[in-house]
Amino acid sequence: MPWRHKWFIGAIIVLLVVVAGLVYWSEGFSNKKPLNVTVIIKSHDASIEFWQVLVDGVHEAAQEFDTKVEVWGARDETDVEGQIALVEKAIVNRPDAIVLAATDFDRLIPICNKVVAKGIKLIILDSGINSNIAQSIVSTDNFKAGQEAGQAMLQEIKGPAKIGILSYVKNAASHIDREKGARDVLSGLPYIEMLDTYFVEGSEQKAYLKAKEILQSNTEVLGIIGLNEPTSVGAGRAIRELGMKDKVKLIGFDSSVNEIKLLDEGVMKATVIQRPFQMGYLSVKTAVEAVRGKKIQKQIDTGSLVITKENMYEEENQKLLFPFVGK
Amino acid sequence: MSIFSRLRSIQTNMVLSSVLLILMTIMIVSVISYYLTKDAVQSKAQEYTTELVKQINNNIKSYVNGMNYMSDLVAGNPFVQDYLSKETFASLKQEKESKESISTLLESMLVSRTDITSVNVFGYNGQFVSGRKELELNPYIDLTSLNWYRNAQEAHGQSVISPSHIQPVFKDRYPWVVSLSRELSSRDGSKKLGVFLVDLNFSVMNDMFKDVRLGQRGYLFIVDSSGKIVYHPQQQLIYSKLKYEMIDRVLEIKNGTFTSNEGSNSRMYTVQESDFGWKIVGVSYVNELVSNQNEMRLSYVGLGFICIVIAIIISFFLSQRVSQPIKQLQSYMKEVEKGNFDIHVPVPKTTEVGRLARAFNIMVGKIKELMNQVVSDQEQKRKSEMNALQAQINPHFLYNTLDSIVWMAESNKSKEVVLMTSALAKLFRASISKGEELVSIRTEIEHITNYLMIQKMRYKNKLDYQIEISDSVWDYKTIKVILQPIVENAIYHGIKMKHGPGLIRIASEETETDIHLFIEDNGNGMDEEKLRTLLLPISRSEAGRGVGVQNVHERLKLYFGPQYGLTYKSTLGVGTTVYIRFPKSLQSSEGEK
Repeated sequence: MPWRHKWFIGAIIVLLVVVAGLVYWSEGFSNKKPLNVTVIIKSHDASIEFWQVLVDGVHEAAQEFDTKVEVWGARDETDVEGQIALVEKAIVNRPDAIVLAATDFDRLIPICNKVVAKGIKLIILDSGINSNIAQSIVSTDNFKAGQEAGQAMLQEIKGPAKIGILSYVKNAASHIDREKGARDVLSGLPYIEMLDTYFVEGSEQKAYLKAKEILQSNTEVLGIIGLNEPTSVGAGRAIRELGMKDKVKLIGFDSSVNEIKLLDEGVMKATVIQRPFQMGYLSVKTAVEAVRGKKIQKQIDTGSLVITKENMYEEENQKLLFPFVGK
Repeated sequence: MSIFSRLRSIQTNMVLSSVLLILMTIMIVSVISYYLTKDAVQSKAQEYTTELVKQINNNIKSYVNGMNYMSDLVAGNPFVQDYLSKETFASLKQEKESKESISTLLESMLVSRTDITSVNVFGYNGQFVSGRKELELNPYIDLTSLNWYRNAQEAHGQSVISPSHIQPVFKDRYPWVVSLSRELSSRDGSKKLGVFLVDLNFSVMNDMFKDVRLGQRGYLFIVDSSGKIVYHPQQQLIYSKLKYEMIDRVLEIKNGTFTSNEGSNSRMYTVQESDFGWKIVGVSYVNELVSNQNEMRLSYVGLGFICIVIAIIISFFLSQRVSQPIKQLQSYMKEVEKGNFDIHVPVPKTTEVGRLARAFNIMVGKIKELMNQVVSDQEQKRKSEMNALQAQINPHFLYNTLDSIVWMAESNKSKEVVLMTSALAKLFRASISKGEELVSIRTEIEHITNYLMIQKMRYKNKLDYQIEISDSVWDYKTIKVILQPIVENAIYHGIKMKHGPGLIRIASEETETDIHLFIEDNGNGMDEEKLRTLLLPISRSEAGRGVGVQNVHERLKLYFGPQYGLTYKSTLGVGTTVYIRFPKSLQSSEGEK
């Protein structure tokens, strides 16, 4: 008798467990624990709209994918040591994923190896490192963006020209790729002479001075490409000051009020803009998917866009050029 | 005990079926109530969203109405009319004064309105007056390239609302605004004077919408009548096709709600149309509407679980209560199976089982009774057998026969002596043989032939006999020693009393089922009275005559049933015929069973 009862109760319990399991399973485990993602960007400098918009995208994704996100930034884009320290600090907190916009192509590799070794998912954002360990790279295809800048330059210059490139910092992957892209289009043409790439050590003022120096020493210079916002604005200021806007063709990168003004005035002929909002959004989305074990793309191109005076007020471009940040 | 036989037990069946029933009921009930609750919560959320969207619509309306009011004020203002319609002014001072007065008017409108970025009048004569004096025109912008300017001209004096856009007309400023623009014309309408522009700081609206959160991830967006997005928190994602909104369906309906079909990511759109062609759309994620969905689900599952456990325990005890008396009955039955009939099952209260127990008791009683009867029947059989045996070895017959043998021996009739002695020997051998009750008719006839042979030798010419048994009945079975007592009777009471020779004839007849043997004599016969009492049990007590016949009659009935036995037919002075009736049977010991 007791043995029979045991068998019986056992059978019923199994039945109940199966039923409960089915009920629970059919409704899905929607009550997933929020993930922790730490986003480390290049600079927390609030004056650079690019990062602000990017962080907006990060927060938007955090909300949509129910993720706890912390956004840290180095002091400025040259502060490689500071960023390494931030990654170190992030590892201690043991988030599910770290999203990193690397300030240096080489020097962040060891710490990135450490991130991956600790089992934390690593997503590279905007600028990469010279290594293949990250789960995914979410960035503008900077080489392609550089090519677009080169194409825009070709549209503007007619006839022989010298072209100089202003780069913000050495060793940032994004800038290296842009430069390569631009040179890919422009070099090899018989009527174009490519000048050196000038590094301005992360300062708009230095970019301005450098541009002025170039313009003054090479009276025949016809083209300048600024590889990011401060270099573009710096060069623009120099051109405006020297009243050379008809003679010198400036192609820039990114967008800001100052760049818009330059476009409006006709000092800057075109700017290649990225989609920082998408970048931020997709980096978090990809991080979440990586943590949840979904298949993710190794490389995600968020795209770039050439903005000129003619198309700058088009509806779709307005939102990219004039973000709502900080208002 | 194997699983299958256990599954067949009543208790298991009852528990299983009731558990299944309860399980299904609880599951259905909890699923239904879960969905009902969910629906209720959902419709509540929907109501809330609709209310919220309506409120926002009202807010926007009040902004737009305010702007409209400003445009009315400006359009009808004589200073403005005057200033814009004049090609030239008498003096620079007059122009400045005129401009000053308009500027003051516009400025007064801006007082305490932080949401308005600027109020401006653009005259076709090249004049520009702004409510904010610090504003300068952006020299690089062509007014006619701007949407709000062109739309106002096309609307001929009607107010036009332009969706959120960048306002580039002012130097060094690129604010996000919603513009209301309106073409100004002279009072008689003949002359078009310029365009009036109010810019509403879009960040005010933006902040208003941005803070609207419908659930965790829900949001609010606005489209204009052509489907262009006026405001969307994730506008960039939409432009880059990372996110889709069901704008077509939004445009189709005026006010109301619909749900997109995206599985677990389904979104509920609540659409509210504004007066100026905008549609405000609240988007909430369906699975979020019920914020505590999981707790709800868990509590339903938990409650169901507890109910089921309780139900199982109850059904277990209930089924035990029902099956317990049955089991008890079963154990009594086992006793009976073992042969114990002295059992009385206590009758339980449960009606069905009670009836069963009562019937069982009655049945056991009946069986006991029948068993007793069988025992007594057997006893009687044995007794009558003994009687038959006694009848057979009637001592007088034996004495007489032996006397005859002695007498014949003295007369040196050795041949007859041998014949008679061997017949006697056969007679006894046949009757004692094997002790079986049933013998074939052949054996019985052999027996009676021996007997008659002896008697014939004794009575010489006084007795003769004929045996005419048809061949077909030889092998049928009958009880042994049934003919002898009847033949004995016929000789002693029929033929012996008669003058002259007597004849005994034994013949057979058969029907479909039965065999009839009849013994006919031409003796004295009997009167009615004798005939009547012959087979009655009383006659048994009378000494001598009739005892053997009575015994045969009883044995036939005992073996073959009450419908069989002897029948007498007799006429006084003519003779007697005895009919023996029994069923056809080829089996050897049927009667024993």
